[in-house]
Amino acid sequence: MDAESMIASLTDRFPDDVYDADIESAIRTAAKVKPENVVDVCRYLKEELSFGHLCCEFGVDYPDRNEIEVIYMLGSYEHPVILTMKALLSRDEPEIESVVPVYWNANWYERETYELYGVKYLNHPDLKPLVLPIEMLGEWPLRKDYKGFPNKTAKNLV
Amino acid sequence: MDEVEQTQVEQSEVQNVGYADIPGVALTDSNVISDFIKKTKVQDVLNWGRKNSLWFMVNAMGCCGVELLSTGMAHYDTDRFGIIPRNSPRHADVMIISGYVTKKYLPALKRIWDQMPAPKWIICFGDCAISGGPFYESYSTHQNIDEIFPVDVFVPGCPPRCEALIQGFVELQKKIETKKDKGTDY
Repeated sequence: MDAESMIASLTDRFPDDVYDADIESAIRTAAKVKPENVVDVCRYLKEELSFGHLCCEFGVDYPDRNEIEVIYMLGSYEHPVILTMKALLSRDEPEIESVVPVYWNANWYERETYELYGVKYLNHPDLKPLVLPIEMLGEWPLRKDYKGFPNKTAKNLV
Repeated sequence: MDEVEQTQVEQSEVQNVGYADIPGVALTDSNVISDFIKKTKVQDVLNWGRKNSLWFMVNAMGCCGVELLSTGMAHYDTDRFGIIPRNSPRHADVMIISGYVTKKYLPALKRIWDQMPAPKWIICFGDCAISGGPFYESYSTHQNIDEIFPVDVFVPGCPPRCEALIQGFVELQKKIETKKDKGTDY
């Protein structure tokens, strides 16, 4: 199964949920997905198109567009195609369905994205900060407008 | 138990036990013994003993911790200075801050420092512990550790070599010998 037939199969199965599908090369594909149905899309990708490996999941902040992108990198053990799947969320209230029921290793990825960007994952089994101390929850330090950096210089450097 | 509570360092209540509560202890109002220890040559003898038995705590916090560990190994043979790695803070005299101090780790580090019996000293080992280093102006680390802990010796480097740590210990021995150290409560 090559990249063209894979993207065609995906867009035929989910004509409303998957848009902006793109084939960048023989092994690189990209698509955007509606946040409401990301679990169904991921289940179809895993079970039918043999994308059995969620390489990583992370967020990107775009303050100009007032959007936070959640990006899924999907790989496979059977074929060489990699799919970059993006979901666009509102920056004011970023909420998306958790894909832990499909890819169990998304658990810690989603917890990290939650603590750093404030993306709220619905139906996540245990949504709490992964690394950051509990007092820093709500600061969302990797957002572009984060103001919490220490503004005093380390005195030994001056 | 909630998992959030497990991430926090447990706090124990400090019990105030006076000497009057302990049987077999006689109290005195004079500070003759204290003056005898602190103002005569006895202090020099004590300091000689202290400076030649600087046991440090194995508390590898960052990449510098690897240098810290190898300093305690056989190749550098720090036993010849009386410097021995200890695994428990209750056995140790020197705490080596060997890496970045994150906001999450600082309460645990303070607790370790409180567990060490006096006299005790601190060596700041590496750029991260001194000024933040590569994590300078990071949202999750503390800079200027010397405002939090009474640091005696700074060992710069990224990471410093094991020989630099041994020299730091030698400098600390010189400070103890001349009574210019910041060792607390003795």
